[in-house]
Amino acid sequence: MIKVTITYCAECGYEPQTLALTGALMKAFHEELSAIEIIPWFEGSFDVRVGNELVHSMYRDGGFPEHETIIGAVRSQIQSHTG
Amino acid sequence: MAVTRERFNQGLTYQGFKDSMTQNREPFENNERNAPTEPEDVAAFSRLSKPLDVLVIAGDWCADVIANLPILGRLALESGKLNLRVFDRDTNEDLMSEYLNGGQFRSVPVFAFFDADWRQLGVFTERPKSVTEFRAKKRLEIFTEHPEFGSPNAPVDQLPEETRTKLNQTIRAMRAETAPFANREVIRELRAIVEKVPVG
Repeated sequence: MIKVTITYCAECGYEPQTLALTGALMKAFHEELSAIEIIPWFEGSFDVRVGNELVHSMYRDGGFPEHETIIGAVRSQIQSHTG
Repeated sequence: MAVTRERFNQGLTYQGFKDSMTQNREPFENNERNAPTEPEDVAAFSRLSKPLDVLVIAGDWCADVIANLPILGRLALESGKLNLRVFDRDTNEDLMSEYLNGGQFRSVPVFAFFDADWRQLGVFTERPKSVTEFRAKKRLEIFTEHPEFGSPNAPVDQLPEETRTKLNQTIRAMRAETAPFANREVIRELRAIVEKVPVG
C-alpha cells in the first residue's frame, strides 16, 4: 500500500494547504492508503512524497501542488502495485 | 490599486495587534523588551519633523513577524514618530497583493512607510537579505559538520525521526545564535528608509 508524506513549513502558515491536500487524499482514497504522514517543518518547505517518489517540492518546483497532480501520482502507484 | 490613507486607518494599532494575538505573545514581547535599539537609532526616527505612517502586514504564527515587528514597535514607542497600523495577512488580500515578495510570495512582515503627503518612502519585507544570506552560509556549515543530516537541499522526510529532530534543534540554535546580528540588520534597514526623509 502507498504512504503519502507531506512536509510543510509551520512558521510560514501552510496549515490550510496541508489540511486541504490531506482532506482531498482522504476523500479520494479512503482506506486505500497505508498512511498520510504530516511533518511540521520550517525553512519554507512544502514537499509531498508518494511512496518513494518526491512528487512535489516547493524548493524544486515552486508553489503548492495541484491536488489532482498528487491524486494522479497516488493513483498511478496504486495501479502499478496492483497491475 | 494603491493603498489609500482611508484603508490604512482601518488597521489595528500596534497595541491592538498585540491584544489580538492568539499565539506567540510572550516571545513577541520578549523580543520587544530585548530589541537592541541604541540612542542613535532612536534619534534617527525622533529627528523626523512629522510622524510617518507605517502599514504593517503580519500574522502571529510567523517567525519573522515575531522577530522583526517588535523591533519596529520599540522604535515607534521610543521615538513617538511612527504611526503603525497592522493588518492580518490572510484576511486582507487586497493589501497583501500590493506587497508580494518578488511579485509572487506572500511573505510577512511587510512594513510600508508613508510620509504626510502619502508618498511611499520604502518597504521592508520579511527580513534583510544579509540575514538570509548569513544564515544560509551557517546552514551549509551545519550540513558539512553533520553528514548524517544528508544533503542541504534534500527534503527532510526521509531522515530518521531522531536525526530530523536533531537537525531541527541545530538549525534553531543557529538562528538563536545569529539573532543579535539579524536584529541589528533589521534596525539598519529601517533606519535607511527614514534617513532618506529630509529634516525640517
